[in-house]
Amino acid sequence: MPIDVGRLVRRLFSEEAAFTVAVTILLTGAVISYFVWRWVHSLFERTGMNDAVEGTAFERSVNRFGTSTGGIIATLLGLFVYTLAIIVAFNVARLLDYEVFWTQVTRNLPRLFIAVLAIIIGLIAGDKAKIVIKERLRSVKLPEASILGDIAKYSIFYIAALIALAQLGVATTALLVLLGAYAFGLVFLVGIAAKDFLAAGAAGIYLLLIEPYTIGDEVRIDDKRGIVQEVDMFVTRIETDGEEYIVPNQQVFRSGIIRIRS
Amino acid sequence: MTGLGEMLDEVVEDIDAVLLYTQDSGTFERFDNDDTETIVVGTENAVEADQFVSLPLEFNDLDGRIRYGLEGAMDAELIDEGDEILCLTTFMDSGDIDTIVRVRADEFTHTGLYDLFVNSRADPDVVRDVFEVAIELGKKGQKGKPVGALFVVGDAGKVMNKSRPLSYNPFEKSHVHVGDPIVNVMLKEFSRLDGAFVISDGGKIVSAYRYLEPAAEGVDIPKGLGARHMAAGAITRDTNATAIVLSESDGMVRAFKAGELILELDPEEY
Repeated sequence: MPIDVGRLVRRLFSEEAAFTVAVTILLTGAVISYFVWRWVHSLFERTGMNDAVEGTAFERSVNRFGTSTGGIIATLLGLFVYTLAIIVAFNVARLLDYEVFWTQVTRNLPRLFIAVLAIIIGLIAGDKAKIVIKERLRSVKLPEASILGDIAKYSIFYIAALIALAQLGVATTALLVLLGAYAFGLVFLVGIAAKDFLAAGAAGIYLLLIEPYTIGDEVRIDDKRGIVQEVDMFVTRIETDGEEYIVPNQQVFRSGIIRIRS
Repeated sequence: MTGLGEMLDEVVEDIDAVLLYTQDSGTFERFDNDDTETIVVGTENAVEADQFVSLPLEFNDLDGRIRYGLEGAMDAELIDEGDEILCLTTFMDSGDIDTIVRVRADEFTHTGLYDLFVNSRADPDVVRDVFEVAIELGKKGQKGKPVGALFVVGDAGKVMNKSRPLSYNPFEKSHVHVGDPIVNVMLKEFSRLDGAFVISDGGKIVSAYRYLEPAAEGVDIPKGLGARHMAAGAITRDTNATAIVLSESDGMVRAFKAGELILELDPEEY
């Protein structure tokens, strides 16, 4: 506790000693914050974080101001350490008597820092998610597919904002309820939409593991008879002369399969 | 030098389209503003051209590269039969454009080189991956000794019904696809086995050790090729499959489709 240190120094030495200690703390804080700044910089370089955030909108707009994401976070951390040192020094020197005020600040400063960090990480993660999804969907030449990336991006922005606001002590219950409803709706709707896919996938796993029939077997499913050409997770392709049936795997399960040995 | 300049002018006169083999956007931009149609050909569309023909392999020989570009552009209806085409490409390994070829689009025989990759039953990616495996195998061989191999790609159901196993199938109940990183090593090991590899449309390796039993009548492949090539040619005539053969004797990779030899590559050049 900074207050105790101040009192201890005062009791052991004198008022001047306390002032000297305060100045030392100030200087040490400056040195430490510089090292923190350097360390974060090299950390970003070593772990390849710089490449990971490359191309996001946040990184680009930060670049325009002549710095980088790593630089901003490093500066933020350095500033945080230095502010802490100033507060401790002030407390030791008893330059300011608003003890209650300063303890408030020391309690709220980390929260503010986390809030800013959450916003930065949210902005980057959101952009990155959009870029990744866009790359994945590039082979699908469908303009509507790009909305998926935007959905992911804004979902992440929303969550980041929620974390930041909660850190600052703003009442976020209503926003949380909204998030819950949104998440539920997403899961529910995707569940309904993908119901058949799930059923086909479950059947497909069995078919792939056990292989009751394989490529080249002649089979009959319902009234479709032919040679199996391909079995994958979701469908079985059966071919006869000139016709190819693409049978969903759950239908293979439901109606059973007849292998023809002749 | 006037004679040379006139000669060049004559070569580039009245052309309908330019096939540009480049990955360099600076080169492309010089042509983009021109009135003549410019079609970029390359392994990837690095210059983001509107009219693009994708090469599945870096064809090292000029003939294959130009043929593929022309057939691809014709298939996509970027050029018409009878068009005068100018191909700008690289002949040596310099990477710069150093060769100008003028052809008429219907002047050459349609070999089906483009169809081999794009309009086969199997996915284009699968055909390309098998080619890469065969080239790799041809380059390194098995423990330094040349090996031969026969891959039958696509229409696997029919191929399986026109062949019989020589031994137990090592790929039974496995789900290995060509293009998986482990496959090169596996196929290299299995290549000392006799028989053919059967690969499905989607790239799953269905079987090794297959003895192909197609009807070989009427298969016309160049004389001097062995039983492996004959089997490859015959199976592609009987089914809709594509066969890719690595020759043990001369180390060449050859592709057959519909009973005919379509493509011949030397793995050492890749």
